[in-house]
Amino acid sequence: MATYIVRRLLQAIPIVIGISVISFLIVHLTPGSPIDKFRTPRVSPETINNLIRLYGLDESIPVQFGKWFSKFWLFPFDNTAWGYSFTDGLPVRDKIFARIPSTLWLTGMSLLVTVIVAIPIGVLQAVRQYSWSDKIITTFSTIGYALPTFWLGLMLKQTFSVQLNLFPLFGQNSFGKQGDLLDLLWHLVLPVTTLAVIQVAGWSRYMRASMLEVLRQDYIRTARSKGLADRQVIFKHALRNAMIPIVTLLGLTVPALLSGAAITETVFSWPGLGFLGVQAVTERDYPVVLATVMIGGVMVILGNLLADVAYAVVDPRITY
Amino acid sequence: MARSEGLPVPGAHVSRPATEIDEVDLVPVRTYWQLVRRRFLQHRMAAIALVLMVVLIVASIAFPLIGGDAWFKTSLTHGPKDPSSLAAPLGYDNLGINIFYRLMRGLQTSLTIGFFAVLIIAGLGTTVGSIAGYLGGWVDNVLMRVVDIVLSLPTFFLVLMFVAFMGSGNVFVIIFAIGLTGWTTAARLVRAEFLRLRESDFVQAAKALGASDRRIVIRHMIPSALAPVVVASTLGIADSVVTEAALSFLGFGLRPPEASLGNMLTNAQDYFYRQPLWIWYPGITLILLVLAASFLGDGLRDALDPRQRIEA
Repeated sequence: MATYIVRRLLQAIPIVIGISVISFLIVHLTPGSPIDKFRTPRVSPETINNLIRLYGLDESIPVQFGKWFSKFWLFPFDNTAWGYSFTDGLPVRDKIFARIPSTLWLTGMSLLVTVIVAIPIGVLQAVRQYSWSDKIITTFSTIGYALPTFWLGLMLKQTFSVQLNLFPLFGQNSFGKQGDLLDLLWHLVLPVTTLAVIQVAGWSRYMRASMLEVLRQDYIRTARSKGLADRQVIFKHALRNAMIPIVTLLGLTVPALLSGAAITETVFSWPGLGFLGVQAVTERDYPVVLATVMIGGVMVILGNLLADVAYAVVDPRITY
Repeated sequence: MARSEGLPVPGAHVSRPATEIDEVDLVPVRTYWQLVRRRFLQHRMAAIALVLMVVLIVASIAFPLIGGDAWFKTSLTHGPKDPSSLAAPLGYDNLGINIFYRLMRGLQTSLTIGFFAVLIIAGLGTTVGSIAGYLGGWVDNVLMRVVDIVLSLPTFFLVLMFVAFMGSGNVFVIIFAIGLTGWTTAARLVRAEFLRLRESDFVQAAKALGASDRRIVIRHMIPSALAPVVVASTLGIADSVVTEAALSFLGFGLRPPEASLGNMLTNAQDYFYRQPLWIWYPGITLILLVLAASFLGDGLRDALDPRQRIEA
């Protein structure tokens, strides 16, 4: 197992280099520059040149890439290694790390809700396959899966914040209530629902399919013919096996949630990583944009690895 | 080679008197496409989705033609308070623009972007997948690493970045960005099909006959490997359309006066209190489009897969 993990991590190195090159090239070879906003008649060419030098944009692209890449990956504990934001001059690492708790709250809670809701739904559908409840839930999950995140977020905002005035419209805390847990949870309700509805729709489908697959197996028939109660067959014999593919799904969903939450975070002005990334793109804040993409990419790679490792851990039949 | 006469080949038709009914003749011969159509129509939701898709496409072509410049023409005499009429079934927006025609124009934009993005996805995916699958070896290895890299990039964010830096509001940039990030699934599917087909008898036969690589790939293998691409492309329309809407919603896609379902939602957001229905129109249109594309994709997957042959 250890050798497998090491091998996978080594295989990830070329992928990390590839991601770095592609995103660096997109950022630096596209037209326009972060300096453009300073180019007004009142700013002297000398100042512009100083700015270009300050941001390190005067060097050739390969040199810039080399400097950025080596610092980014070789000094992970140096606070200044990721550079400084072009907008407020703060170290990029601080900006990123300051946003991580918010994103973790949002993704963690929506994942929790998804698991709690989707698994029982999927089991119920599989146990009562082709019943009315199965058909109705399938219809709803199909529609739920087709809902665009930003539209659902808007609808929830309009219904529950604007018309019913039950939940806050945006943000993470009410004014002057920073660190108040209840206030935070209250603000979390709508964004978490937005993410969870779409996740539940997908997960319950997987859960249903996986459970149906297991219920068809011989050992389930054996358990039934032994005279075990339905409850015991379903929860003890079937569910535990049906959960195995779901564990893989977990590893694949976490990174998707972390970067996919960008839209939800923007809709609700949730101060997470995704919102930071979207803002940084708007302001051409190159170091922040690059750091966000890198973190997103690393999450995907680690998520895939985690999914495969978790698969082997929960299913003893699988060895690497 | 002359065909041996007199010896009836098993299963071949032997001429008989017309009065005698042969049992074998009672079973109609079905071609592949007849079977596909049959399987597709048996999938009720897919058939409904096909009708819906056709209706949406026809509406998106016809109404902008009928309406002329109504989709961007502002008016000082019409406004949100006007009751809905035959000329403006969904009323007028804050600038006096006919919402229905704007919606249809937005639908047209979405479908156009979805269609061309999928064209790039299918083209690029088929090319990369067939090269990797046919040549194998180090070429396959390199190409598949590229696929891994693209798959590891946070897709939506990358599209956002590309569109924002290359010039927001440009349809071609949007299509290009969606296409360039979305081809990996198609490439993997084609590669898998090619690996299977490479060893198949008809490809071996073509090789033995001395056909060139180019001919084998284009004439023999790509047509056989196309089914998964068709399915992936249909499903890809749904993703592309939603991506475009999200981009426009965030302000990086099409900007007014251009009409997009996404920027209609952005505008509707400002009228949350006074015009709560406004966010429903583009939203429902988008959902119908996504549902139609995904059911169509599901139906095609079931229909095109020859392994699910129905006994006639």
